Amino acid sequence: MCFKNLPVEFDEQGRPHLRSDVPNPYRYEVRSLAEQEERIRELLARNGYIRNVDFDPVTRVAGALAFHTVVDLKERKVLAANSMATLFRGYEVILKGRDPRDAAFISSRACGVCGGVHATTSCLALEMAFGIKPPPLGIVIRNMLLSIEYLYDHPLHLFLLAGPDYSQALVEKTNPSLWERAKQTEAPHAALHGFKTIGDIMAGLNPLSGSLYLEALQMTRLAREAYVVIGAKYPHPETVIPGGVTTTVSITTFNEIYRRLTELIDYSKKVVAIWDDLCDFFYDANPLYRQVGARPKNLADPGQWDDPEAYDASYERCAQWGERRWATPGIIINGEQVTTNLQLINVGLEEFVEHSYYEPWETYPFRADPLGAPLSPYHPWNKETKPRPTGQSWRDRYSWATSPRWDRQVVEAEPVARIWNTAVAGKLPHRRFLEPTGTSLKMSLPAGKMPAMELEWKVPADWNAFERNRGRAYCLAYSALIALDNWFYGMDLLKRGETRVHTKFEIPRSGRFIGVGFWGAGRGWLTHHAVIENGAIVNYQIITPSTINASPRDPWGNPGPYEEAVLNTPILEEFDRTENFVGIDILRAIRSFDPCMPCTTHIMVEGQDRMLVTEVNTCACGLDE
Amino acid sequence: MAAEPAAAVIPEAGFFPGLYTAVHAFWLAGMSCDGCSIAVTGATNPSVEDLLTGRLPGLPRIILHHPVLDVEAGERFVHWYELAALGELGAPYVVIYEGSVPDETVAAETGGYWSGMGVREVDGSPQPIPTAEWLRRLAPGAAAVIAIGTCATWGGIPAAAGNPTGAMSVMDFLGPDYRSALGLPVVNIPGCSPVGDNFTETVAAILLFLQGLGPLPEFDELGRPAWLFRETVHRQCTRGGYYEEGVFADEYGRRECLVKIGCWGPVVQCNITSRGAINHLGGCMNVGGVCIGCTMPGFPDRFSPFYKAPPGSAVSSTQVRFYGAVTRRLRRITNQFMNRETRWDEAGRVPSGWGRVDEPPAVYKLVHAVYDALRLRGADEPGRTRPEEQYAGGYEVPAVVARRRRGRR
Repeated sequence: MCFKNLPVEFDEQGRPHLRSDVPNPYRYEVRSLAEQEERIRELLARNGYIRNVDFDPVTRVAGALAFHTVVDLKERKVLAANSMATLFRGYEVILKGRDPRDAAFISSRACGVCGGVHATTSCLALEMAFGIKPPPLGIVIRNMLLSIEYLYDHPLHLFLLAGPDYSQALVEKTNPSLWERAKQTEAPHAALHGFKTIGDIMAGLNPLSGSLYLEALQMTRLAREAYVVIGAKYPHPETVIPGGVTTTVSITTFNEIYRRLTELIDYSKKVVAIWDDLCDFFYDANPLYRQVGARPKNLADPGQWDDPEAYDASYERCAQWGERRWATPGIIINGEQVTTNLQLINVGLEEFVEHSYYEPWETYPFRADPLGAPLSPYHPWNKETKPRPTGQSWRDRYSWATSPRWDRQVVEAEPVARIWNTAVAGKLPHRRFLEPTGTSLKMSLPAGKMPAMELEWKVPADWNAFERNRGRAYCLAYSALIALDNWFYGMDLLKRGETRVHTKFEIPRSGRFIGVGFWGAGRGWLTHHAVIENGAIVNYQIITPSTINASPRDPWGNPGPYEEAVLNTPILEEFDRTENFVGIDILRAIRSFDPCMPCTTHIMVEGQDRMLVTEVNTCACGLDE
Repeated sequence: MAAEPAAAVIPEAGFFPGLYTAVHAFWLAGMSCDGCSIAVTGATNPSVEDLLTGRLPGLPRIILHHPVLDVEAGERFVHWYELAALGELGAPYVVIYEGSVPDETVAAETGGYWSGMGVREVDGSPQPIPTAEWLRRLAPGAAAVIAIGTCATWGGIPAAAGNPTGAMSVMDFLGPDYRSALGLPVVNIPGCSPVGDNFTETVAAILLFLQGLGPLPEFDELGRPAWLFRETVHRQCTRGGYYEEGVFADEYGRRECLVKIGCWGPVVQCNITSRGAINHLGGCMNVGGVCIGCTMPGFPDRFSPFYKAPPGSAVSSTQVRFYGAVTRRLRRITNQFMNRETRWDEAGRVPSGWGRVDEPPAVYKLVHAVYDALRLRGADEPGRTRPEEQYAGGYEVPAVVARRRRGRR
């Protein structure tokens, strides 16, 4: 069925089991990277136009990403790419041996960009381990909180982090002819967003002075105001705990969110129009932009936003409640959805450390999941985090990130994977505002100050940097509608007298319990795998979207998503001399995965006395566990 | 956003001649989650735009060297850090540190690092430079070192028990003898994450003082802004009244005091309940979240496990249950009379269509008569009861006459 590489087969009832004809079913050979490195080294030595271009972590603060590339400036191709996570804080190690009640508040601190996603995922893992089912209003409040979260997060990406790459300030410098064209090109959606030409949009994107930049900063505040009404603070909410939430809910709670939410829905109409215009402009200007940040359509997502009636926190029924989520879980391989079953999504997961600063582990405590499906020794429930900081080497170890893989294939974490899986699966039970068609997701946005509008996100023909950005703009509308849908759901619960927000629980002092939280972050996939023994955490494993996307090569030598996207990127920048090379196309490719705040890097062209350009970012949370 | 350095030393010619118009700020992050940066972008009073564009009169513009906002800095970015470290900036600067400082000697034992920033050649191959080195180089020349967030102020989560990296706070790292160029020890603005306005307000206060336009901001013995962190969060809590009357929530979602279900507020210094989290909205206990002590040096280990009632609450809440019960009952009596128009006393009934409101029992009336007597002692009852309060010439307001007659009947 869905597995090509894992030694897992299915019986007539569709139950997975281990293939019996393979002696060491999970064994693999590590492919050496030495030969490849030698080849690149020779090319560098022989040809002056082939250069080391380092996006160097000089100014990196927090969960930093550094990026090393080798670029052929004559052929305008990237020959080598290495993604490096350069920070380790040891959260998984700190959680070991602690009371499980500490997990949500401590793991929340893994990322300060992604509000409460870690706290929530942690709570889901504990709810599964101890069989705690939250009351419906608790689930609805959680859904509202974690959808409002993205109304801050997506604008942050689109306008404060990735946006400047498409601003006048940069385009004018890196592609003067494109800037000339932009000034002459009328914006098709001018009536919606108010910018007459593409050049006007680009001027609006200028950092700290452009109207779109400043508006987005304000919108991130508006969304956070709505967020703290139920989450208490941002980031690191104070009300998310296993068994639901601790929020004291009243009419005021809902009212404080109401107007802010409708304002953000209006804003999403504008944002979609802006990014539709921008993407189409670049495609028209040069079809090669479709190659920037391109990689196969391999995406993974565990879904999120639980159905208050279906979610029972059990692993046994995760396939059922998973498919009733507002975002349908799913794995897409080469553009085809291969499963929407959360159990199989879990079983297919492995994490490798061949090129990371960790030691391998020998233990193999869970040969099967709670339903009897085979688990790899490299599955998070079996993995142990054993940090070992060593020197940096391209052929050996070069990152604090690990290499998570699904069915031993390189899959990408993406918020767009949420709408993609939901659109093609057609299983969405909540259709007040959303309608999956199999090839698209239709969204009905109610009127606010702007008139009502129908939006349709279509499965893209190409998968690249531009579609990631455009998809996030649609995700803004999608998340806002989910917040609104849950707002009405919550009001309806209040109407029916359902006011309980939390289910009490006790931590058993003896016995072994395992759980997994399946959820998402602003950048996509998020899981926490927990093993608890005799009242204490004995293993805790976090897989974040940026761990997946920033991952170094796997044992088979396959590059991680950032690396692969950069390797596929053509150099379209206009530069007369190599010292003026900025690397904007590479930066756009990396940033399209949704950079987080301050994980900045610099680009440095070897042999020159100057640093060029600025930050490359990734989410802090991905870069260590 | 880095900009031309010359501006930093040109005195403002307008309203405040001779003062600095710009100050550099170097943002450094060690083992952080970026949450403090995010919190600061949420500040509204003043906002980051206010500080960076210099639109507040008297306040110098802040030239922020921050990875995110430094979009156009290009080759100048690291150059500024280098200049400052070498003492060649030619303008005052502050260092803002987010995240905890790892013990790099531990990582170096196996040839690696925990937290890198920038690279240098080691035996012909590029190797990351530890972040801690930048702090060590930049701190002595800084006008002030401001630690933002609980990781930087007290070590925080990365320094929790069982951590593999030897993480510590800026104060731990620089030691008790550290003084900035202006003679200040490390300024600590804690919180995980901190309230954005606590940071921007403190920065503005320090700058106004340095300009000679504001008072010396007061700091406590741990370097916290005293006006923000002097009080316990409980003293300013919206649920404090419940505590006073001995009423406690026994499950989450209720509106009473949360100490019996894990709130540490009575022993935690923080202002989030009075200030809110962002734009005066939110705030832990205001919304229903228990205080887990995230602003305190003991966080997280001294507050673990979370969601469990602090032992101290057993003592204090038992006391308060006793006298709180008395207070609550007395207040209920008074409240019953405060819920009545005086007219309803005359009519002898409450004309509400919503429900039957019983007349207070005789004993309550007696208690309240004493209460009223105390209330009016040394004061006058409102309503022209004394001769000198009457109109001259004997004029009487007809409505008053009518009411008096009704009262007599």
